[in-house]
Amino acid sequence: MVQINLPKGSEVQKGNYFKDKTGSKNIKKVNVYRWDPSSGDNPRIDTYEVDMDSCPSKVLDILNKIKNEIDPTLAYRRSCAHGVCGSCAMNMGGKNGLACTKPHSEIDGDIDIYPLPHLKVKKDLIGDLDGLYRQYKSIEPWLKTNSKSDSMEIIQSKKDREKLDGAYECIMCACCSTSCPSYWWNGDKYLGPAVLLQAYRWIVDSRDDERQARLKKVADELKLYRCHTILNCTSACPKGLNPAKAIAEIKKMLATANI
Amino acid sequence: MENKRPLSPHIQIYKWHISSLVSISHRITGIINIIGITFICLWATLLLLGESNYLVINSFLNTLIGKFIILGLTWSFSFQALSEIRHLIMDLGYGFQIQITKITGLLVIFGSIIFTVIFYFIGKNLI
Repeated sequence: MVQINLPKGSEVQKGNYFKDKTGSKNIKKVNVYRWDPSSGDNPRIDTYEVDMDSCPSKVLDILNKIKNEIDPTLAYRRSCAHGVCGSCAMNMGGKNGLACTKPHSEIDGDIDIYPLPHLKVKKDLIGDLDGLYRQYKSIEPWLKTNSKSDSMEIIQSKKDREKLDGAYECIMCACCSTSCPSYWWNGDKYLGPAVLLQAYRWIVDSRDDERQARLKKVADELKLYRCHTILNCTSACPKGLNPAKAIAEIKKMLATANI
Repeated sequence: MENKRPLSPHIQIYKWHISSLVSISHRITGIINIIGITFICLWATLLLLGESNYLVINSFLNTLIGKFIILGLTWSFSFQALSEIRHLIMDLGYGFQIQITKITGLLVIFGSIIFTVIFYFIGKNLI
């Protein structure tokens, strides 16, 4: 259901202010969403003054700086720092992306950092993605083939392989799904752009023999057709992929195929 | 503990862009058009019942509010039609590159305003 306001207990309050102690002239204010599960308080926005002279170029560098030098209680996910693992997906300057690939110079004024939108928050910038992983499992993201041989590879032409370009590169960071208003309102039923892009990836794989069954499974008013081409997903994707186009391709297949 | 977890902010913080604006406007103009068409149908029905009805509606539509409603409906019909064409093209699988969606979105926004002006001049017998 469409619910514009945050539920009770989720409203964001003003938090602490951490003044700069380095005496630097090049200061940037960074507002970070905080929530501590061990306290019964509402989430709050803490503001940190960060010395930009000694800060590398990405938003993740700012967070590391805050955690190492100002406030070690800040919690966020990060791992590879090269835009490959998808751990540090969050909302920066009103847009989803990976903190490790997002240059902070692209954000004007104060930098606002929130967890991925419309998720249950575990702590600070860490959202609960269990629902998304369950949906991912539901599309059975593995090869299903009738091939009897277990020693021979399944041959794929270059042209068929090309169909997977723009789909297999997805790192499942959930930037797209959590940017989608349809997914916010119907996330329990609508699969969302990330999972549908993966569904598409297996539907168009020439080596897969369950194409019809996969299409049938995804052909559902709520699972697929909640996409209204808002295109928040495509504009959020840190890997430059196009989930909206993949969803449109699935719709097109369903409209033209005989299922 | 599970239930205590707060919901992270969503529409309150997410940045708008052309495509999301056009998409939400498409829905809003859709609702306005349904209401508008209903009233136009009612008006047409009332015409069958005699001239006096026509005069009442005519004088209402000539007030400032009436004129605003007519212009507003002209815009929302224009917007809906153009935006629907954009959706049809997307349903065919074209125009999904971010740059293109920006251009088509702007075309819908400015096109609807231009259409409204054209219809206004046609209505005033100036064209």
